[in-house]
Amino acid sequence: MPFARFIGFSIVRAWQGFWRNAMMSLAATATVILMLVLLSGLLIVIAGLNSGLEFIESKVAVTAQLQDDLPEADRIELIADVETQPGVASVAYVSPEEAMERLRASYREAGEELDTGGAEIRLFASLEINLVDPNASGDVGEFLATHDDVVRVLTKQAEYDTLLGIINVIRTVGLVGIGLVGLTVLFMIINTIRIAVYSRAGEIEIMRLVGASDSFIRWPFILEGVLCGLIGAIVTIVLVAIVWDPIQPAMVTIFQMPTAVSARFLTTLSVVLLAAGLGVGALGSWISVRSYLSATH
Amino acid sequence: MVDVGMTYPNGKVALADVNVEIPNGDFVFLVGPSGAGKSTFIRLLIREQVPTTGSVRVAGRDLVRMRRRQVPALRRRIGIVFQDFRLLPSKTVAENVAFALDVTGAPRSHIRQRVPQLLSLVGLQDHAHHLPTQLSGGEQQRTAIARALVHAPTILIADEPTGNLDPVTSWEIIQLLIQINELGTTVLMATHNQEIVNAMRRRVLALEGGHLVRDEAAAAYEREY
Ligand SMILES: Nc1ncnc2c1ncn2[C@@H]1O[C@H](COP(=O)(O)OP(=O)(O)OP(=O)(O)O)[C@@H](O)[C@H]1O
Ligand SMILES: [Mg+2]
Repeated sequence: MPFARFIGFSIVRAWQGFWRNAMMSLAATATVILMLVLLSGLLIVIAGLNSGLEFIESKVAVTAQLQDDLPEADRIELIADVETQPGVASVAYVSPEEAMERLRASYREAGEELDTGGAEIRLFASLEINLVDPNASGDVGEFLATHDDVVRVLTKQAEYDTLLGIINVIRTVGLVGIGLVGLTVLFMIINTIRIAVYSRAGEIEIMRLVGASDSFIRWPFILEGVLCGLIGAIVTIVLVAIVWDPIQPAMVTIFQMPTAVSARFLTTLSVVLLAAGLGVGALGSWISVRSYLSATH
Repeated sequence: MVDVGMTYPNGKVALADVNVEIPNGDFVFLVGPSGAGKSTFIRLLIREQVPTTGSVRVAGRDLVRMRRRQVPALRRRIGIVFQDFRLLPSKTVAENVAFALDVTGAPRSHIRQRVPQLLSLVGLQDHAHHLPTQLSGGEQQRTAIARALVHAPTILIADEPTGNLDPVTSWEIIQLLIQINELGTTVLMATHNQEIVNAMRRRVLALEGGHLVRDEAAAAYEREY
């Protein structure tokens, strides 16, 4: 099997090459780890914020508090009007009794009992409006605010906009930062492989003289760069997996990330880290090998 | 070689109008003063360089039209030996020879069988596990010759193989090259060693200033008439 021999040869030489200049290779690997840890942090935060965003989107987008003792006929008419507004998905009526029950439930969830001090509390009746398009909340809110039967309108628009703004800033700053770190990593790998190639210059010359094909000359070096990326990715995945245990519940509680999504997230992240590590390793060594080997022949 | 000319990018004309045919099985000396173009002649044969004019055919291949990726196959048909041996200092004799097979993807079983064969051909079976630094110049050159022969080439080219060796060792290397030639390999040897050329009485190609000034069978180092 000539191909198996080629693969074996390349892997062995890449491995030897990696340890031949261990300081340099490990330094390059360390920068890969740095890059991937930053990338993991960014992806975790963005995924969390995105979940939060989706959560807000999925919740009642507009709440309208109704006049006290609004006659049922008026209420039904109002609901029908709201339903015809563009962007509205559904309208639900929450009676004062139901609102009270929800309040009790939320206290219970927090482990307390609602204590009204014996006073009779009457909450507002309200309409909860779900939207098809979160951007419609402005228009729908406007419509409700001008309606006589409505006392007050609460929208999640401001909250939504703030979160969206934060996500965009973090994503942009994060990607620019990681892009810069990525360039540094690429530079490190290009240099590491260049040194590896130069340290084998004598061998390369002999390989050419005895009729070794270009792939036998190139691939060990490319794999050496890939090895830096691979080791970096594996170390980072292990690190993330260790800190993921405490992080996962936080994702679920703080960002309302669905548990199923958070369970899958680590796998997705690992794939991204592997791809990024291998990619930067292969690209760096490829650039290095290409420039050297075409310069010497 | 037909009408071969070689001008280096710096404008230096290293070879001009060279016409040579070397049949299979020949033993040829390539002589000439320093700078005459001997090494350039050899570089054209192994396609380390492409001639600026004319055509070069080796082992049935047109080296001018040859694509880059076909060069490795050509190099396996040609064994090459240099004055400075070019052994890998960190590898033993056996490893240096095996390296040439390793990097061309030869099966391990073939390597295990082929390396001892070659080492006994060049008389180094007892030095298989020595490093180049533990060998004499002659032994290092034998190692290089063994390595050049791993792919059973049809042509062995040697650029001043005795340039760094004392007269006795030089003679031993020549004897080895003669022996290899007798086994059927074409041998081309560039040399300054008058004594050897005169004693051997083989075909001599003489270059001067890039021109082929003499091509004589059973000849001496200098023109004799
Ligand atoms: N790469 C190069 N670029 C430019 N000129 C070169 C190059 N290589 C050789 N030359 C020139 O070409 C001429 C022939 O050189 P070559 O090495 O072929 O001579 P030679 O006969 O092998 O000499 P020697 O006996 O000293 O080894 C010389 O004048 C040399 O300076
Ligand atoms: Mg020379």
